[in-house]
Amino acid sequence: MITAVHFRNFKVLRSAAVRLEPFNLLIGPNGSGKTSLIQAMLRLRTLAALPVTHAHELEGQRPEGPRIEFAFGAPFREVRVILGCNTDELVCNQLVVDHPPGADGERQWTELRDWLRSIRAYLFDHYAMAVPAKRADGAELASNAGNLAAVLAARRAAEPAAMALLEDEFRRVMPEFSALVLRDAPDDRVELAARLAGGDEVVAADSLSQGTLYFLAILALAYAPRPPGVVCLEEADRGVHPRMLREVRDALYRLSYPRDAGLDRAPVQVVTTTHSPYLLDLFRDHPEEIVLADKQGQAATFKRLTDREDLRELMQEANLGDLWYSGILGGVPGQ
Amino acid sequence: MSGAPVAPRLRIALLSESPADEAALRVLVEFVLGEPFTAVPPSLRARGWPSVEQVLPSVIRHLHFNTAADGLVVVVDSDDSPVHQPEHEAPGYHHPYCRVCRLRAVFRRATKNLPPSHGRSRVLRAVGLCVPALEAWLLCGRDTSVTEAAWTEGQAAGRPPYTRRELKWRVYGTERPSLPHEVKRAVQEVSRHRGDVRRLENDFPQGFGVLARDLRGWREPAAAAPDR
Ligand SMILES: [Zn+2]
Repeated sequence: MITAVHFRNFKVLRSAAVRLEPFNLLIGPNGSGKTSLIQAMLRLRTLAALPVTHAHELEGQRPEGPRIEFAFGAPFREVRVILGCNTDELVCNQLVVDHPPGADGERQWTELRDWLRSIRAYLFDHYAMAVPAKRADGAELASNAGNLAAVLAARRAAEPAAMALLEDEFRRVMPEFSALVLRDAPDDRVELAARLAGGDEVVAADSLSQGTLYFLAILALAYAPRPPGVVCLEEADRGVHPRMLREVRDALYRLSYPRDAGLDRAPVQVVTTTHSPYLLDLFRDHPEEIVLADKQGQAATFKRLTDREDLRELMQEANLGDLWYSGILGGVPGQ
Repeated sequence: MSGAPVAPRLRIALLSESPADEAALRVLVEFVLGEPFTAVPPSLRARGWPSVEQVLPSVIRHLHFNTAADGLVVVVDSDDSPVHQPEHEAPGYHHPYCRVCRLRAVFRRATKNLPPSHGRSRVLRAVGLCVPALEAWLLCGRDTSVTEAAWTEGQAAGRPPYTRRELKWRVYGTERPSLPHEVKRAVQEVSRHRGDVRRLENDFPQGFGVLARDLRGWREPAAAAPDR
């Protein structure tokens, strides 16, 4: 997994470092660098697929200008990757890789590179999700989840057991529905709908609530037989009733902590953002999973909630959501 | 069958922090009362301390005027707050940081000047305190190191004997249980007591004991008297 990201002179992130865990919830005002972190990870994925610069080729010189450095956990602890960006447009086009010498180092980089290419970021769009999707596009969830219907249809055909688990979970959390319906639409497309419990009435995707569609997309990720290596999800709480946020958190935990869910697969690193104090409340037992993005003037920084030494005392008389809203934790607008 | 009149089922509202807490509470309340009850919908939820204290007056008022609830059960986690003690029961005593004392004070204030409604003078009170969290109650009788006394002694010595996270691990086998797993384990563990809550009262005499005593008082004739 990515254990740390260090920004230097990148937009508002003049000198900002963030340690990352298997699961990370980012909170903070708009423009504080939460999205920059996700964009940096996406850029890393893109450049990892292209030819890279090896550190020894630079003969000791580091890239000039803004840069973003990444550190990794085992078995890639000795590999460092730097995104070099040009000063004018802040486009990062250079990927500098520093890995141990020899065949073993090469192998490490090759493996890491494959993993980096599986970084994914999502910002769901319920309008796109409600439109019938091309059946041929069902291999992997798109970043706006616009092909959700196709993904679910493909999974039902190819991995019925995995799909059954997803549907069980959907029915448990949303007992008003008895089944997911994936029906043919013109042009070799498939349309998503859901059957209401206690009858035959079917609700088309464009009449399903935003929250229902977003939650289904999260389930599509959490119950994917082969999920991405990293899942970045903007605004995990969007459209979801506050009492249902626990289910959102747990679905994402299923990705980051598969063993706790009885799954035998590699953990997926999750980086997600929220503006919901109610979602934050659910992390009282795991404040180490919270990252505060803070903006002071034109400079933004990241800090772990657990870096606050008095956090335990503060939490005795207030819940996390209220502490954040009050401003004493930082991560609020207008500083 | 005897012809003795059967008292109607109590109508009880429960205010808790999570669906798992509520599921365990439903079982425990029935064990203490020794009779089934009717749960007043909807499930009432608070966002932990101190939200529960803030929302409680409104909850009491709502139940009093808009429902026929006989009583309200409120159970909160103690976290690091002081555990309720027998000396807190002295007339007029109020510990400023004890959550039992504070919730009782909210009940007193909220029910003080309400006119009768739905044929009763006020909604009855049952307040409990999980020390330090529900998982401690769930381990009662299974893990003898988990008791109110162990917690209080550890707290006094500045070295709590276990953390919330450790308790979760012991109950669920993970620090991040899914909600269905949490509910299932909670109900399994409290159901072990098979209607006999003496062990819980013995190991958790204040947090659970006060709840049980409140509940048992509900069927007593004096229960309807004001400002108990
Ligand atoms: Zn007290």
